[in-house]
Amino acid sequence: MNGPHGASLDPATGWLILTAFSILWVILGAYLGRRSSGLEGYMLAGRKVGMALGTATAMATWVTSNTTMAAPQLAFQMGIWGMLGYSLGAVGLMMFAPLARRIRILMPYGFTSGDFVRMRYGRFTWRVFLLISLLYAFGWLVSMGMAGGVLVNALTGIDYRIGMSVILAVCVLYTMLGGLKAVIGTDFIQTLIILFGIVALAWLAITQVGFDRMHEAALTKRPELLNLLMPAAIMFLFNNLLFGIGEVFHSNVWWSRAFAFREGIGFKAYFTAGLLWMPIPVVAGFVALTVPALNLNVPAADMVGPLVAAKLLGSSGAVLVFIVVFAALASSLDSLLAATSDLILTDIYKGHFRPQASDDELARAAHWMILGLGLFAWLLCLPRLTTLAQLLYFMGAFVASTIWPIAAGLFWRRANPRGAALAMIAGTACGLASYFLIGFYVAALVSAVVSMSIVLLSTWLRPDDFDWASLAVSGEVRS
Amino acid sequence: MIISVTALAWLVSAATLATMAAPVVLIIFWIRDLLKGQLW
Repeated sequence: MNGPHGASLDPATGWLILTAFSILWVILGAYLGRRSSGLEGYMLAGRKVGMALGTATAMATWVTSNTTMAAPQLAFQMGIWGMLGYSLGAVGLMMFAPLARRIRILMPYGFTSGDFVRMRYGRFTWRVFLLISLLYAFGWLVSMGMAGGVLVNALTGIDYRIGMSVILAVCVLYTMLGGLKAVIGTDFIQTLIILFGIVALAWLAITQVGFDRMHEAALTKRPELLNLLMPAAIMFLFNNLLFGIGEVFHSNVWWSRAFAFREGIGFKAYFTAGLLWMPIPVVAGFVALTVPALNLNVPAADMVGPLVAAKLLGSSGAVLVFIVVFAALASSLDSLLAATSDLILTDIYKGHFRPQASDDELARAAHWMILGLGLFAWLLCLPRLTTLAQLLYFMGAFVASTIWPIAAGLFWRRANPRGAALAMIAGTACGLASYFLIGFYVAALVSAVVSMSIVLLSTWLRPDDFDWASLAVSGEVRS
Repeated sequence: MIISVTALAWLVSAATLATMAAPVVLIIFWIRDLLKGQLW
C-alpha cells in the first residue's frame, strides 16, 4: 500500500518493525548495562572499552541520520561533490585520534569535554564553550529526532509526530537503563546492521538501474549533479570538512569515548573508525543520482533516500531502509543522550548548582538527566521546522569555532584563556553572519578561519604558561 | 567538467567494496578482544 509521498510500506508493517527493534534495543541495553556500577561504570563504561567496541561505537555514532538521509539529500542537491564532501566528515574522526590519546594521558580521571575547558581555560571560557556545545547537542538531537519522524512518515505513512516520539522514547529508555555500556554495546550490532543494509541497497541500485542509465538520465535532466566544477559544492566540501572536525573536536560524544576507551585504544579506534566510515556517505548518497533515471517526484529533499529506495526496491527494500535508518538513528541518539546528559550533569548540575554532590547522587541524577533531555528534544522536534541539512549547517558556525581553542589547548601550553574565549565568540558570530549573507555552505569555513586567526594571534601576543600536570588531579576534575 | 560514467562507476564500486570489508574488520577485532578478555 502506498501512503503519503509514495510510502511503500503499510502502517501495520511499519509498526511491526518499529516494535520488534524497539524491544530488541531495550532488552539489549538493559542486559549490557546490568553490571554497570557507580558513576564511572554508568557514564564511562568502566573506562575499559576495547578496540572492537571502540571502533564500532565511533563509526555507528558518526553514521547518523546525516549519513543515511542527508547524504542522499546532499547528493540530490549538489551531486558528486555533495556525497564526496560528506565523506570528508571522516577526517574529523581521524584527526581526533591523536587528541583522544592526548586526552586519556592528560586527564586519566576526566569525565567531560567541559572538565577540560574549565581546567585548561577557566570558568568564563568554559561557559562560552558549554553554550556552544549544548546548542550543538540540542541541534543534533533535534535533527535526528526529526529524521526519525521523516523516515517513518516517508516509508510507512505513520504520522511524523508519532514516529518521532516512538524512536526518541526507545532510545531514552535503553540509554537510561544501561548507561554508556548499553550505548556502546548496541552500537556494535547497529553498525553491522547499517553496513549490511547500505551495501545491500547500493548493490541492488547498481544492478537495477546501472551506471550507464543513471549517468545518461542525470546528464540530460540534471547535468549539474555530475559537474565536478560546481562552485557551491566545492565550497561545501571544505565547509563540511571543517564542520566535521569541529563537531568531533568539541563534542562530549567523542570526549566521553576518549575517557571510556581502555588505555592505548583511543588513537587506533578513532583512526580505524574514520577509515572505515569514509566510503559510507558515497554508498548511501549515490542512490540520489538515480532520481532522473527513475523519473521520481521528490516532494522534499530530505526524503530522497527513502523514496528512491522504496521506488527501486519495493516493500522489501523499504523494510531494509527502515531497519538501517532506525539503527543509524538509534546509534547516534543514544550516544548523544548519554554524552549530553553527562555534560549537563557534571558541568551544569554539579558545576553550577550542586558542587558538593556525591557520586551516588550524580549516578541517580544521571538517569533523570537522560529522561529530561529526551523530553526536551521531543518538544523541539514536534514542529518540523526546517530541513535536516539546513539545521545541521546552521550549527556549523558554532562548532567550527571550537576547533582551534580545543586543539591548541590540548597541545600548546602557551594558548591562553582570553584568546580561546574570543576565538569561539568571534568565530561563531562571523560564521553565522556568513550563513545568512552568503549561504549555509560557508558558515563553518568562515567560523574556523576567524577562530584560528584569533587563537594564533593571541597565543603569539599573550603567551600563557599552562601546567599540564594540573589536569591529572582526580578530585579536581568533577568539582 | 562532467564526471564520466567510468569514473562514476569506479568511485561507487570502490566505496561499496570498502564498505563491505568494514563488518569483517569489526568482527575480527571483536574475536581478538574476546580471546584476550578485553572487550570491556
